[in-house]
Amino acid sequence: MPGPVSASLVHSSAGPEPASTAASASAPVFTFESAAPLQTVGGAVDDIVRIVGLRFLGVLAILFLGLVLAYVAGTLVRRLLISVGVPEAIEGTAFERTARDFETSTVEILSWLTRYFVLGISVFAALSFAGVNYADRFWGLVIAILPQLFIAILVLIIGVVVGDKVELLVAERFRAVKLPQVNVLPSLAKYTVFFLATLVALSQVGVATLALIVLLASYMLGLIVLSAVAFRDLLRSGAAGTYLLFTQPYSIGDEIVVGEVSGVVQELDMFVTHVESEDTEFVIPNARVLDKGVGRVR
Amino acid sequence: MAALSELLGDLVADVDGLFLFTPSHSHYEQFAETDVPTVVIAPENTVEAETFVELPLQFQNVKDRIRFGVEGAMEQSIVEAGDTIACNVGVFGGDLDSLVRVRVEENMRSGIYDLFANSRADPGVIRDVFEVAIELGKKGQKGEPVGALFIVGDAGKVMNKSRPLSYNPFEKSHVYVGDPIVNVMLKEFSRLDGAFVISDSGKIVSAYRYLEPSAEGVDIPKGLGARHMAGGAITRDTNATAIVLSESDGLVRAFKGGKMILEIDPEAY
Repeated sequence: MPGPVSASLVHSSAGPEPASTAASASAPVFTFESAAPLQTVGGAVDDIVRIVGLRFLGVLAILFLGLVLAYVAGTLVRRLLISVGVPEAIEGTAFERTARDFETSTVEILSWLTRYFVLGISVFAALSFAGVNYADRFWGLVIAILPQLFIAILVLIIGVVVGDKVELLVAERFRAVKLPQVNVLPSLAKYTVFFLATLVALSQVGVATLALIVLLASYMLGLIVLSAVAFRDLLRSGAAGTYLLFTQPYSIGDEIVVGEVSGVVQELDMFVTHVESEDTEFVIPNARVLDKGVGRVR
Repeated sequence: MAALSELLGDLVADVDGLFLFTPSHSHYEQFAETDVPTVVIAPENTVEAETFVELPLQFQNVKDRIRFGVEGAMEQSIVEAGDTIACNVGVFGGDLDSLVRVRVEENMRSGIYDLFANSRADPGVIRDVFEVAIELGKKGQKGEPVGALFIVGDAGKVMNKSRPLSYNPFEKSHVYVGDPIVNVMLKEFSRLDGAFVISDSGKIVSAYRYLEPSAEGVDIPKGLGARHMAGGAITRDTNATAIVLSESDGLVRAFKGGKMILEIDPEAY
């Protein structure tokens, strides 16, 4: 008896077959209600079918749009990352190598993440359009937390990659220094970046991070105090050197007297001045040049 | 009927060392464990070889390259006169495509290695100045052949043994050779007469400098002009190195201690 109805319904839902189950589950409800008055009032059925179809079409369109948007966004992200040279910049970092082991790459992972994020949003949009009752608190929470989760994951990935890169750069910088103890510095730099990224990610998803921040503050304070003490002379010389380089009271080739040292200036940089006398080359910190004053021999 | 590999067998028969010129990592791994000592000669020790001679300039001429490597190895007492070594070197392009058997002799000490490794100035600075001179020799200044004179290292003494010809364009500036923009500046200023004075760390101290060394006992080949004479002579009076681009024959020559150490043709690079 309900042959033509179901036929027309099938016809209208032929397209949305892969559509969300929630939406298609709501469809038969309408068919059974409308099954009885079908033979008598044809116009009403048409109306209902039209309403159902419209809603289906809306859901379908949103899903389709979400798919396309997700794909485009992912591709854009990938293109953008490649064009700013991210793959070369992060070449050789541990994260990239691990990604390679799984036959993917950091850029791929980021672009897929973007796709899933956009897709997730579009699924929620479709569900709300379909009128599915998601109003209970769980789904509301999920929707609220989704973007933050996305950003947290993004920050974590960026943190790991940047940390690895920083380690490589610092290690490269110190490669000329043949000192085994120096190996501590690259990993210190790496874990500092990891720590910062974790902190940002955790606070993004709303986990209590006060203890970590206190830890960070004390660590930074220690670092600053330590370096202020350790690099005091270097900083002083650097400041003095900046002045000397700008004003150039003496230049290469001049004969100068600094304290009890005298000779011809051979080299002048940020931190030190090389002065050469007959048989000795003195390396004078620039702080001392300002301290003692400098005499130019005419 | 001799097998082809015998040809190589003769070349490597009882050698005292194997010299690999800029080997790839895998290539080095392959030969690092042979029964003769392996020496790597390259611009940078990328393969982390134990015995390594730094090659500051990628000499196009294979003879120069080998001579430099051997000299460096002699300087570091890796080999000595009388040793025979096999040199694995790339003649065409980057791959190591040929094997040369060389007998190390005392007269191979030409001072090229010494010029780079033991000069007052940093090896990198001397290399950068060489590169500028070579490029200038290749292209000239706006197509015209141009001469130039660079005095590298011991700048304090050189400045005291010279006087300015005019205002110094590099006064109160902090520019260093090796910077691409600075190289353009050097090329532009090369039309000025006089010498460039460059410090040990590569800072360009002055251009337009008239050198006033005493020219006694300077041993430079006959036929070279005043520029070479001035450059050669100042290296005798100071610890500087002079790198001269000749305007007439376009060759780049290096002087140290009043003697000509190296002569290269820019066109060959």
